Amino acid sequence: MFTAVPKSTSLFGDQMRKLVLLGGGALVAIIAAVVLWRPSSAQTQDPVTVARTLTAADTAAFRGPTQPILFRHDLHAGQFKMQCQYCHYSANVSSEPGIPSMQTCMGCHLVIAGTDSTNQAEITKLRNAWRDRKPIEWNRIHFLARHVHFPHDRHIKALGATACATCHGDVTRMPQVFKVNNVTNMGFCITCHLERGVNRDCTACHY
Amino acid sequence: MSDQTPDNKLDRRRFLTVVGATGAGAAALSGCTTDRVQKLIPYMVGNEDQIPGIATYYASSCTECAAACGLHVRTREGRAVKLEGNPVHPVNRGTICSRGQAGLQGLYNPDRIAGPMARQADGTFKQIEWTEAITLLVTKLKAAPGRVAVLSGQAPGTFDTLLEGWTRAQQGTLTRWEPFGHEPLRLASQRVFGRDELPLHDFAAAKHIVSFGADFLETWHTPVEQQRGFAQSHGFTQGPTAKTVYVSPRMDLTGMNADAWVRVTPGTEAILALTMANIILSERNRAPADANGLRGMLGGYTAEKAAQQVGVTVDKIRQLAREFASAQPSLAVAGGVGTQHREALELCAAVHLLNYVAGNVGTTVKFGAGVTRGDGYAAIERLFGRFDKGEVAVLLVHDANPLYALPKSGQFAERFAKVGFKVSTAAVMDETAMASDLVLPSLHPLERWDDIRPRAGVLGLMQPVMEPVFAGRHTGDVLLQTGKQLGGTAASVATATDYKTYLQNAWALEAKRRRAADAVQFWRDALQRGGLFDVASPSAPVRLSATAQLTKAVGATFDGDGAYTLIAAPTLTMSDGRGANRPWLLELSDPVTKITWWHWAEVHPETAKELDVREGEILELTTPHGTIKAPVYIYPGIHPGAIAVPLGWGHTAYGRYAQDRGANVLDLLGAQDGNGFLPYQSTKVSARPTGEYRQVGKTEGNNRQLGRGIAEMMPVEAAVKGLSLRQFYEQEGHAEHEVNTEREQGAIEGFRESQLEQRKRGGYAEEHPQWGMTVDLSRCTGCSACVTACYAENNLPTVGEEEIYRGREMTWIRIERFWEGGEREGEPLEARFVPMMCQHCDNAPCEPVCPVYAAYHTVDGLNGQVYNRCVGTRYCGNNCPYKVRYFNWYAYNKKAFPEPLNLQLNPDVTVRGRGVMEKCTMCVHRIRGAQHTAKLEDRALVDGEFTTACAQACPSGAITFGNVKDPASKVVAAARSPRGYHVFEELNVRPAVTYLAKVRHTEGQS
Repeated sequence: MFTAVPKSTSLFGDQMRKLVLLGGGALVAIIAAVVLWRPSSAQTQDPVTVARTLTAADTAAFRGPTQPILFRHDLHAGQFKMQCQYCHYSANVSSEPGIPSMQTCMGCHLVIAGTDSTNQAEITKLRNAWRDRKPIEWNRIHFLARHVHFPHDRHIKALGATACATCHGDVTRMPQVFKVNNVTNMGFCITCHLERGVNRDCTACHY
Repeated sequence: MSDQTPDNKLDRRRFLTVVGATGAGAAALSGCTTDRVQKLIPYMVGNEDQIPGIATYYASSCTECAAACGLHVRTREGRAVKLEGNPVHPVNRGTICSRGQAGLQGLYNPDRIAGPMARQADGTFKQIEWTEAITLLVTKLKAAPGRVAVLSGQAPGTFDTLLEGWTRAQQGTLTRWEPFGHEPLRLASQRVFGRDELPLHDFAAAKHIVSFGADFLETWHTPVEQQRGFAQSHGFTQGPTAKTVYVSPRMDLTGMNADAWVRVTPGTEAILALTMANIILSERNRAPADANGLRGMLGGYTAEKAAQQVGVTVDKIRQLAREFASAQPSLAVAGGVGTQHREALELCAAVHLLNYVAGNVGTTVKFGAGVTRGDGYAAIERLFGRFDKGEVAVLLVHDANPLYALPKSGQFAERFAKVGFKVSTAAVMDETAMASDLVLPSLHPLERWDDIRPRAGVLGLMQPVMEPVFAGRHTGDVLLQTGKQLGGTAASVATATDYKTYLQNAWALEAKRRRAADAVQFWRDALQRGGLFDVASPSAPVRLSATAQLTKAVGATFDGDGAYTLIAAPTLTMSDGRGANRPWLLELSDPVTKITWWHWAEVHPETAKELDVREGEILELTTPHGTIKAPVYIYPGIHPGAIAVPLGWGHTAYGRYAQDRGANVLDLLGAQDGNGFLPYQSTKVSARPTGEYRQVGKTEGNNRQLGRGIAEMMPVEAAVKGLSLRQFYEQEGHAEHEVNTEREQGAIEGFRESQLEQRKRGGYAEEHPQWGMTVDLSRCTGCSACVTACYAENNLPTVGEEEIYRGREMTWIRIERFWEGGEREGEPLEARFVPMMCQHCDNAPCEPVCPVYAAYHTVDGLNGQVYNRCVGTRYCGNNCPYKVRYFNWYAYNKKAFPEPLNLQLNPDVTVRGRGVMEKCTMCVHRIRGAQHTAKLEDRALVDGEFTTACAQACPSGAITFGNVKDPASKVVAAARSPRGYHVFEELNVRPAVTYLAKVRHTEGQS
């Protein structure tokens, strides 16, 4: 059922995230960046199949909506093995997954400017947005109807920290995120709930 | 109500300021469709205190009335979504009234102004910058030393200290004023006991309560606290309950909850009180020794004389006095606005004496808390007198609306206009702001730092629970900034750069005074707790003043020669009128008349016959001071010689909801000072039927039970014996309201068996909790706090008056009010209240008729309603015997929440769209939320860990909710009461809601 995601070796846990935030950036971020930054050549097993040098222009060929910044889950979650919950910080503590704040991005990208011009171009967009205090408006990919209540934390507790892929697909291989499963369709939920023999009461989700 | 449809194009900047952004924050903004929100907008900087999807609670204080209850403000994604009571606050102990909850709609009121407004030469207002506004104010103040006046609402605390210092620095005068200031009670305390304060009353300890027109469950003094005490002594546990007698020409909500209503001639309550005191003193003296000096003064008040004046029989008066004296301790209260006539001071003094001779002073009547409500009406007279003389050049009005709340006949608007430069700090353009030259909108209490000391021993704190919704500025900051700019003494008063620092400095002193080791920690603890609360309630011993003539009563006098006495009635929803711009309060049916959205004139059935009017006919009411029109509501609970019109309606400004809604009864009143207070009840009124008609938007159906057994009652003797309702009816020699025949009973049993078989199938056979509820009618007062709580919790839309006419209100829980008796003159009139919500029947009639299984039974005993399945056939509503299913006829959600009122919506609950049937869910989101938390923590649910919104708000503690399968749960204990019954039990629908019959003193009714 699950796509195996390589076990993370990063230091980025919740505590580190808090440190980054508390430190307000610079020094901690530099340390974090140094620890984290490994050139792809250093990786023995590269799960990423697409090239690292992608430009925004390439995105039209990818599945899923084009985002204002070509944020590459395949690099962040795949190559760098950052935990999903480093950015989606409330997914395991709340019903809501949490959209990372701009500060979370800048925690690293204050220092990390990108290795090549294509990456640099995307990171520059982020830095400009931070400078102008204008948050990036991401295009939403997964959404549930408002009469559905889906608690992320409960599912992560039941299925483990790597459960995200169950619904969201293996984003470690997605240069641009697209909808793998039609989560809007209740059948998708029910299939799994049937398989596992868990609650299928209407008011479990609809209220 | 406005037809403005909220568009979903919330300005992005505002969106970020107010909401921040998460999926949930965005999701709550629009209706039920899936295709609107396509963008995810992140925070720039995340807030460590807020986790999306998880509520954060802040402690604060309520400012909707002077009682200053403690609040817990529930915030989600950086916006306040519900006001709940603070469980550790000594005033309200975790509960809250309707008006308090509607404070949220003051925060999100769509008519709040976006910035300072200055009057232009042509008389119109123009929005200006804050710096410009402050400069303008400073210029004006500089030019007017010694000619400054400040009129402020009653909010003792640090802000008040600053305001006082600031005013003194300008050599100005500060007047504090509350419309419902209860001056007669305070003046009477001064006269009788030499204490310039309002006493506190221990309703919980009283074994017998007599109220002389003090509406202690509605607007008088500290309603929530009093209701809690009243529920304790008057609600049934096992022994006899405190008999409660209401003495007033009008039966208001408090009167409806009394065991007996003594309908007196308007203005004669004081005579009755003194006569009772005389009887007690001469018959059975338990009074303190110095009360003997009263014998001479009271001697003339004989029952025979009083009977004539008051309109009550001699025996009845004797009975009242004897019952009052024999119960120890008893409690008499007076001083409500509803009996604030020319003899109100004498009445309050008489009641003080009555309490004194019965030995209640010091036990149930306590002095020493230093409760005051402003400087009184006399101070208003003095202030306006200074306007007349041209002594005031700059006037600052803060947290007061004198041009609405004072009678028009006093020419207050004209006199107000004589002030050269008038500044208002109103957040909404109210009547006073409209007449001002500069409006400096203050922040809502939920947006600002502040504290309030309603009495000794209670110091409540307020903290900003969210970013300001509008660009107001804390008046404290305005004072500090102007002080700095003015220089001199004013600058020395402005000891901090901003009000938060000023407040913290004051608290640092408090910490020092209390010898706290760490002032910062002291502040943090207080902030978390909601303030500083001393456990012991202060009680100072008092003695009678030496004055021989403490009071005398001859009956109040009235202006004019109309045929009827006018009663300007304070109501629970509108109070002094500040609730008139809150849609929740407008749609909340008045507990007495069940009328929504408009004012009315209460007319006795006899009087209606005399005038030849029917319900809805418009009466023209004329007094020497003015004329208004009001539709008739025929009401048996009023003296035939009186007509009552509610206070609080008829604003001429104050936003879209309040403006031009009804007429202001104050237009009929004289403004003459009644010796230190405004005598609200001092005019005779003549009534002329106009022949015009206006439908009364009331939410009641038939107000008689017609043998249906909805609201059951048991006399206190039967309840004490532990009789069940059936036993009681048998003892009385007549059948229960309706009994199934033996054959029917057999059929029901058979059906029950087959249903129990059905319950063994599928998921229903598994171990699940069964949610249930009990409602104790002996505690329920009909105050409707549960209704407003439900509106807030479950995103219920207000539908407006037109839809109410069609019976389309969306109150998932409603208070049904039934009358018993009172059909013939002299027959006692009894009111019964039943909170009616979905009964979550085990054999629910709504479930089998749904063609799409939208109504179904959950395994844990709830009657589920799946909105996304519902296709709107309304079969379920037709088949529901309780009529608790509400159909969303129009997209009410689009109309009811004009921006930014939409920010009040609870993200945990779906906002229903058009064409969906909806109803009470027993707060299923709270159940699922608690189960969810328990699962995450790998533990079982604990009884009492959560409750429904209605049960949480109820000041009486009438509602108990829990798992009926858990034998140790509170709900099981409550449901075991022999008083328990189900409404329409004979239908065999097996409701999950058990009502406990009301308990009443019925003996000696005349």
